[in-house]
Amino acid sequence: MSGVGALRSVGLRTAPTTRGLRRWLLRPEAPAAVFLVVLLAAFSLAADRFLTPDNLESILVQVAVLGIIALAVNQVILAGEIDISVGSMLGLCAVAVGTVATATGGLLAPLAAGVATGVLAGAVNGLLVTLGRIPSIIVTLGMLYALRGVILLVTGGTWITQIPDETRVLGLAKLAGVSLPVFVMFALFLIVNAVSRNSTWGRDVFAVGGNRRAARLAGLAIDRTRLLAFALVGAFVGIAATIYVGRAGSVQTNAGEGLELQVIAAVVIGGTSIAGGRGSALAPVIGAVLIGVILNGMILVGVPGVWQSAVLGALILLAVTTDALRRRLVGGAA
Amino acid sequence: MSANQLRPLDVLKGVRFTRELVLLCLLIVLVVVLGQMSPVFFTVGNLLNTSRFFVEVGLIALGMTLIIITGGIDLSVGAAMALVAVTVGLAHQSGVPMALALVLGLAVGLAAGLFNGLMITRLDLHPLVVTLGTFALFRGIALGVSGGGAVSSFPQWFEYFGQFYLGPVPGQLFVFIAAVTAVWLLLSRTPFGRYVYAIGNNEEAARFSGVPVRRVKVVLYTGIGVLVSMAAVIYTSRVSTSRADFGAGLELDVISAVVLGGASIYGGSGTIAGTVLGVVIIATLRNGLSLAGVETTWQVFLLGVLLIAAVFVNEFFRRREE
Repeated sequence: MSGVGALRSVGLRTAPTTRGLRRWLLRPEAPAAVFLVVLLAAFSLAADRFLTPDNLESILVQVAVLGIIALAVNQVILAGEIDISVGSMLGLCAVAVGTVATATGGLLAPLAAGVATGVLAGAVNGLLVTLGRIPSIIVTLGMLYALRGVILLVTGGTWITQIPDETRVLGLAKLAGVSLPVFVMFALFLIVNAVSRNSTWGRDVFAVGGNRRAARLAGLAIDRTRLLAFALVGAFVGIAATIYVGRAGSVQTNAGEGLELQVIAAVVIGGTSIAGGRGSALAPVIGAVLIGVILNGMILVGVPGVWQSAVLGALILLAVTTDALRRRLVGGAA
Repeated sequence: MSANQLRPLDVLKGVRFTRELVLLCLLIVLVVVLGQMSPVFFTVGNLLNTSRFFVEVGLIALGMTLIIITGGIDLSVGAAMALVAVTVGLAHQSGVPMALALVLGLAVGLAAGLFNGLMITRLDLHPLVVTLGTFALFRGIALGVSGGGAVSSFPQWFEYFGQFYLGPVPGQLFVFIAAVTAVWLLLSRTPFGRYVYAIGNNEEAARFSGVPVRRVKVVLYTGIGVLVSMAAVIYTSRVSTSRADFGAGLELDVISAVVLGGASIYGGSGTIAGTVLGVVIIATLRNGLSLAGVETTWQVFLLGVLLIAAVFVNEFFRRREE
């Protein structure tokens, strides 16, 4: 504690410009942002085809599903919980979207089916965590496997194909020159960012994750806050599933397998603390883009695809190590 | 005051006793029901054969029990098992003598566990995020160095580790029994075992009481790395192949077995006897369902539900005691 106080008083005495820089560097997503800029520069030098508008847009399109889900999971992690069931949840929502799309066509009905399925699954997670008082890691680990079983029950193991074109709009179309998936991701980011900073629920999420006991003593609705966060994950997974189905044009029973790892990676690489209470809505977006840039750049530079998982793991460890060292160096503030 | 503190402790002991009894009854019911579903199930040969399949999960579950008692978790065990198997396979393929290849595998497993332990203790990071990272890292390295290929031309004597029988009894069962005895003694008869419970009940209090918290944790994560290596060698020998996709989803079986055995995921409680029963119940369930012709995905579904249900029942009873 005294060390933190000393560092703070040193900070107060430094010149205004360094103070501004210091404040910026204390932002949760600062290391990831710096790393992203360095990576962009490095890949641009290493591969000619990297820094082209087409390639950059294709990276954003590829990370849209990941980014949208990470935005919501970020809120769960900020609230001090975790959700590792999103891979199977995406698969289940995609099945719902695909089934309704082949039956009725259109965009709104499949989207609504996907979001409803997601909210239902998310609510089950949330209720088991809050009312059942089971740790979220266990609930969502169990659901990761249980939901995959539900997918096989519903589909009987067969693929859903021939998704009508009007349903695929959300995955394929462009609006004012920008691909819809990218557009949806940034729109959802703006919404979550505003809600996170300005709404009661958004502030409660930070309070509950930062210090649950204090939040309870302050009279905050801890269970409702967390339940809403889990339901939000479901809703966003439903939207992401519609984009996923639109891009893929079919639904396989293994859709979304391993996605949970990328989502958690995006959140913690972006700078949100896995312990909860500390982070921002921008963090998961930067984290997702960073993952997209690395996977894309690796391919352009010629690294075999089998190394993807290793790079992802190393990135998670690098991110949490950086975070731990940074907190040690600049004090535990912010 | 002291009388008040003693009473709940006595109740806790009583409940733990009945929990293991309940698990034993559950196992007997399971055996009878599964025996009705398939005529092959209820034969001595099959029951002994089941033990061939739970030794790998069981060995790792022993280490996981201690880690969960301290309030930690290790999600990287399946990936670490693949890494060890690939190390042994590739070393053998590149002409290293088999004995040396096994030592290399053991070293890799130990190093993997040590890496987890050091990351968690030196940087004060949450075990969940570290082992989630190494879950991807270890699996990725295994995939990367093996290029996704398999190695399967092992020497004849290597089969002893996973395919040896003493009469009708599979050889690895003896390894398991020895490991169970050793870990049980460690947990219930040594200061180290007391440290494990102390850390799980209140880490801060344990540190102030002079418990070497960091060292205990590093030893635990390194220890599970060694157990993972043993499991990897037995598994590789049993299926006569080494591949990078080994142990996918293994962490679910292991963690399910441990919490089914009554260890609290919040730390502070758990027993080796409970874990062993949990391992046997899950193996019996899997074997029985396979014999009854139930698909693997359905078994995984049931495991997922079982995991949630087991923790729910655990925490329900624990709250009622309080």
